[in-house]
Amino acid sequence: MPDPDDPFREARERCPIHLGDFQGETIPMILRHKDVRKAAKDWKTYSSDAPRRVPIPSEEDVRTVRQYPLEVDPPVHSEYRKLVEPFFLRPKLPEFQAKLDALQNRLIDEALQQDRIEILREFAIPLQSHALTYLLNVDEKEAETWIGWGVHVFKEGDGSSKGAFMEQYCRSMFEQAEQSPGEDFFSALNQAEFQGRKLSMEEKLGYANIAFAGGRDTIIYTAVRIIAYFADNPKALACIREHPEMINTAAEEFFRMYIPLTHIGRVCPHDTDVHGHTVQAGGRVSLAWSSANRDAEVFEDPNTVKLDRKPNPHVAFGFGIHNCLGAHHARAIMRGLILKLSERVERIEVLEREDHIEKAADYARKIGYEKLVTRWHPATKSY
Amino acid sequence: MPKVTFITRDGKEVVVPDGCGTLMEIGREHEIEGIEGDCGGVCSCSTCHVYVSPEWMERVGPPEDMEDDTLDFNEQRKANSRLGCQVELTDALDGLVVEVAPAED
Ligand code: HEM
Ligand code: FES
Repeated sequence: MPDPDDPFREARERCPIHLGDFQGETIPMILRHKDVRKAAKDWKTYSSDAPRRVPIPSEEDVRTVRQYPLEVDPPVHSEYRKLVEPFFLRPKLPEFQAKLDALQNRLIDEALQQDRIEILREFAIPLQSHALTYLLNVDEKEAETWIGWGVHVFKEGDGSSKGAFMEQYCRSMFEQAEQSPGEDFFSALNQAEFQGRKLSMEEKLGYANIAFAGGRDTIIYTAVRIIAYFADNPKALACIREHPEMINTAAEEFFRMYIPLTHIGRVCPHDTDVHGHTVQAGGRVSLAWSSANRDAEVFEDPNTVKLDRKPNPHVAFGFGIHNCLGAHHARAIMRGLILKLSERVERIEVLEREDHIEKAADYARKIGYEKLVTRWHPATKSY
Repeated sequence: MPKVTFITRDGKEVVVPDGCGTLMEIGREHEIEGIEGDCGGVCSCSTCHVYVSPEWMERVGPPEDMEDDTLDFNEQRKANSRLGCQVELTDALDGLVVEVAPAED
């Protein structure tokens, strides 16, 4: 059985691509670090102009809209991206940081007070949902609605789609913001001008769609895995407590190791030779970020967490023009989490755990937990 | 402590009299546009790209392999490119002049 944390290792060492089977579609997965970065830069050969088909598997059955700016190419890509960039830079504001601090302290207080706490539902989902209200600058009460959506906004555990429900919710948020505009994400998009015109509802829904979907399980699973790591390596908490300068390198190392997004797709507009495999015009390739992040050509002991790894040129947030807009947000959350856990928690005991495994036709990859039940022990003195 | 001069994207000079840490760190402390340091200095984000003024190249030295590979993907790369997070300031660099590279795209 291949290691579920690095299922592509053997394939990657043998060959630059792995032919994956996704619901009958053969997609060459580009596995090596250098090749992934090269392909991510080459948007003319590997295009994102493919509504609902950039993610693999495709999302035709879970959403009706194209996601912006994920699913467009230059030259319009940068115009679309600029319109929402100010929101994605909000994590740099002191007021954002202060709210995030208070939120994390409150969640840690609650975790320390309980006998047992299930991290996904009682910690990570509330953390993600409340933090997103700060990013989008909407009333924090909305978080209560989002918490009810579970880990995935698109799929229930049984695979049935609830994407339509989320689109309906966003539509009503845009309509409400039209009635009483504010400083929030929805109002800003209502007012935004693109090439001298207002955005269509379809475009606005496309921006909201990725903010809710792309920014959800990624944050939830990364947070859960960081907590599981500290539970399994209690000395690491003490180590960071003594060397808080390691927080940034530790966060980047967790992003590298635990990237929840196995890969993402591109479409070849023309017949393309991908490391010896021909992709017909209109066919797809995959950029396997998760595999690139474990490439032994670049990362020494790639499957070992090194909290002070530096340099660490991981591609957890992608590479090139589509690099993750949510990265500031993700970094603020995870750096804050690492700092606060190291200051306030001595040890985390795991009482129950169940892995969440992404299963495709020919690989199985661990991307997080279905369930992680724990008991927390406070640091003896506060730092 | 070394003195460092940044030439900003709009052509102004910002002088840091007592630089300590890496070029990226002091660039951030002085809020120099284009020195963002998003990844905290691990060579992953390239938001700390500078051009070292030619007379300083020898003393600053060339990039190591991983930095070199990352720079290779940057359209704005020149022969005197460095990632600021990989340049640790020492007294030998007193007087260093660097220019902030333009944004990619
Ligand atoms: C640990 C957390 C996260 C990871 C690992 C992650 C990963 C990624 C990756 C790999 C890409 C590149 C996609 C491509 O090249 O096609 C991307 C793009 C993007 N991400 Fe994230 N992401 C995270 C969190 C977030 C959050 C919290 C948000 C929003 C709230 C978000 C919004 C976006 C958007 C809008 C794009 C598209 C940017 C563009 O096309 O220009 N992400 N993300
Ligand atoms: S700070 Fe990210 S590469 Fe230098």
